[in-house]
Amino acid sequence: MTQPLDLQSISAHYGTTKVLEDLSLSVQAGELVSLLGASGCGKTTTLRLIAGFLSPTTGSITLGGRDLTRLPPHKRDIGLVFQNYALFPHLSVLDNVAFGLKQRGLGSTERRKRAMGMLERVGLTPLADRSPGALSGGQKQRVALARALVIEPPLLMFDEPLSNLDAKLRVDMRVEIRQLQRANGTTSVYVTHDQEEAFSISDRVAIMNAGRLMQFDRPEVLYRRPANTFVARFVGFENIIPFKVTARDGAAVAAETAGMTLHLSQAGFGSIPDSFLLATRPDGLAVSTDPDAEGLPAQLGLRTYLGRAYQYQCETPAGRVVANGSLTTPLEAGTRVKLVPVPEQCTILPAEGAH
Amino acid sequence: MSDRPHPILVGVAALVYLFLMVPLVIVVGAALSDTTYLTFPPKGLSLRWFENIFEISAFRRTIVTSLQIAFLGTLIALLIGIPAAYALNRFRVELPNWLGTLFVLPILVPEIVFGFALLKSLTAGAGVPIFAALLIGHTLLVLPYVVRVISASLASFDFSIEEAAISLGSAPVKTFFTIVLPNVRAGVIAAFILAFITSLNDVSVSLFLTGPGISTLPIQILAHVEQFFDPTVASVSVLLMFLTVAVMAVVERTLGLTFLAK
Amino acid sequence: MISRRFRRRDGATGWALSAPATLAVIGFLVVPIGAVIAGTFMDPRGIFAPYLSYFNSGFRTTVLFRTLQIAALTTIISLIFGFMTAYVVARAPGRLKSLLIVAAVFPLLTGVVVRAFAWLIILGRNGILNQTLLALGVTSEPLEMLYTQGAVIVGMVYLFVPLMVLSLVGVLENIPRDVLQASSSLGASPLATFWQVLLPLAVPGLIVGAVLVFTGSFTAYATPQLLGGERQTVLATLLHQRAMVAFDWVGASTIAAIMTVITITIVLAMSHIARRINPMAT
Repeated sequence: MTQPLDLQSISAHYGTTKVLEDLSLSVQAGELVSLLGASGCGKTTTLRLIAGFLSPTTGSITLGGRDLTRLPPHKRDIGLVFQNYALFPHLSVLDNVAFGLKQRGLGSTERRKRAMGMLERVGLTPLADRSPGALSGGQKQRVALARALVIEPPLLMFDEPLSNLDAKLRVDMRVEIRQLQRANGTTSVYVTHDQEEAFSISDRVAIMNAGRLMQFDRPEVLYRRPANTFVARFVGFENIIPFKVTARDGAAVAAETAGMTLHLSQAGFGSIPDSFLLATRPDGLAVSTDPDAEGLPAQLGLRTYLGRAYQYQCETPAGRVVANGSLTTPLEAGTRVKLVPVPEQCTILPAEGAH
Repeated sequence: MSDRPHPILVGVAALVYLFLMVPLVIVVGAALSDTTYLTFPPKGLSLRWFENIFEISAFRRTIVTSLQIAFLGTLIALLIGIPAAYALNRFRVELPNWLGTLFVLPILVPEIVFGFALLKSLTAGAGVPIFAALLIGHTLLVLPYVVRVISASLASFDFSIEEAAISLGSAPVKTFFTIVLPNVRAGVIAAFILAFITSLNDVSVSLFLTGPGISTLPIQILAHVEQFFDPTVASVSVLLMFLTVAVMAVVERTLGLTFLAK
Repeated sequence: MISRRFRRRDGATGWALSAPATLAVIGFLVVPIGAVIAGTFMDPRGIFAPYLSYFNSGFRTTVLFRTLQIAALTTIISLIFGFMTAYVVARAPGRLKSLLIVAAVFPLLTGVVVRAFAWLIILGRNGILNQTLLALGVTSEPLEMLYTQGAVIVGMVYLFVPLMVLSLVGVLENIPRDVLQASSSLGASPLATFWQVLLPLAVPGLIVGAVLVFTGSFTAYATPQLLGGERQTVLATLLHQRAMVAFDWVGASTIAAIMTVITITIVLAMSHIARRINPMAT
């Protein structure tokens, strides 16, 4: 029942605008993969292509060896959970869930039995005869989930399914979705713009931007070792500082940027190219008042209170960066400090273009 | 949407549009005919039937009357309809629901009954001059359109910007003219056009409110058709269509055409 | 206390602003029509005398039933063709869709007299249709098409199809696309989606459109007058004839009362039904 999904160099256009460029993505059987990105990145387009509501200009889509590319949506056998639930307003909760079974020609008693069973799994048995209009957002989402699951599809897809729910419910529902998906072992594609949601729920995450796949990997890897500046900024590496290697001695590397020399060990970062970018989160730059510290000279600007630390906007010869300082010694604007990179909180990216 | 409608449906829709357009094309053709009887395709091209419109004094007079009534009626309907629409939206909680229904009544009751009732109570019953009765009838006839169109644009108006203006020291009445009205300008224009055209084309209300020397253009056309079967009426019709096209062009320029479909 | 005084003043402002329009509708519409209807019950011959004499006249009851029949047929034909057309228009790509909408709005803005007159040219004894049929040898002498019920219905359908198309395009566009896509993602063929999802969701809109067309064709004057003449007398033309030719004001008022009551009853009943079965309401 569970099948792998394979997208081979898919391109898509809306009119003459290219919305997806040469996208290849393989989802293993039973895996949950998230498509993550800002609106307009192509994640929803990808989902609609797989569902069959759009046709790709080039490329192919296969599910368990079956070529879906030219198949109309109603023959693809994919369970879809919509952002706005898309429940049938004229049918009861039970009839909503049974709708897909009816299309598959099941008799009314069998339909009812299976639909009731599914409603029980999502805890909605008492609401079976209600109209969808009378349900809360969370209940609607459960009906939508039950409706998609009951047809036992080889592939489940979710289009921002939780974005209309409040924060608390969102967390509960994503656990519930993950449990149901795990229990059924159904291959799943999950579209979201919420990084925390994507990272918490997925086996692997595909980060997209402007119609291209930027990186596709496990959340742990994306979070610690982004492959490029786009993904780095996306996962919170706010400071990206260009360096040039000035000396190498075995694993030890000396690199320089405006007025600062930094000593690094390749052991922590793998091989370091001659020209690279050092990416850090605000926590990755320690604020030091020691004038002799090996770090980036900086003048502190605006200080904001984050609860766990103070955050400073800092002017440096390499541009403006953001650093977090300790709560015990708040520093005034204008103070001259050194910003010392914390190797465990940094990552190294290849230099890009002329920048 | 990726799923195309079935070819049979497309065919039916094409036929329906043909059915809608062909008669209008025929009227235009007939108006250009050089013959003294109505025919299509036109035999010989001539504009003489257009000249004929203005040679018949009844047409001359009724065109003027119709334009006067449509213009004045629409104006009065706007004057009383805009405050009403504003009140219905701004004071939704304070005003009863039936008030909104009341303003729809003129299109709910049969127009011809309304015209007859005005004849009975105003012109015949109270000796109100025919022109005044016509004006009253047309004002009420177009009032629902005015209230509805303006209400629709007020429904998407954020009344908090009105409150913002008042909090900045603008007097309420002045605020209405400087803040509210400019934001529903499109609605006012649409209401004017819709009301004007409705009034200009009306038959059923005007039917009973004509008298010696006073009639409207559609009533005059009806009377003419029943007596003569020459292309004059076709050319008057074309004239009215031109007027409609001109109005639609103005709408297109100011608001975009799909606006009228709402 | 302060807020309550504010509120009361607000209410008063609302009433004041709507007063001119309210008084105009009450004074010039509600009262005159009320007077017409009330008048029919004050006949010296007895309270229901005008109605008894109306329904005792074979001709007048025939007119009533003919009017209902014409309105019903017009409504059904407009519904069927209007729905199919609206379906195509609603699915047309952007620019074509606006063009199609404009093409439906244009006849709507052209007067009823002009539109009835067009069919006079087409259906007349020497009209285009007869000329064409004669030229093609389909018939050897001109057919009598004018002044038949068919002519009136064609003219009425012509009048009301654009209205139906426009209102149904609105209805179809209000059906969320997601819901239709959900249906096909669950395996429903386009035909199944149409019957099981689209049509049920469009029913309230269809009812509203049908009421619009029915009441419009039930009370139309110019089209039956021009295309039906005396042979196809309907309530509206009968009302005019009683009032302006026969000066039978009681008779005319009775017809007016019957038309008003039927129209308002249908509007209220159907809008109640449409609201009750509207699944989108909650």
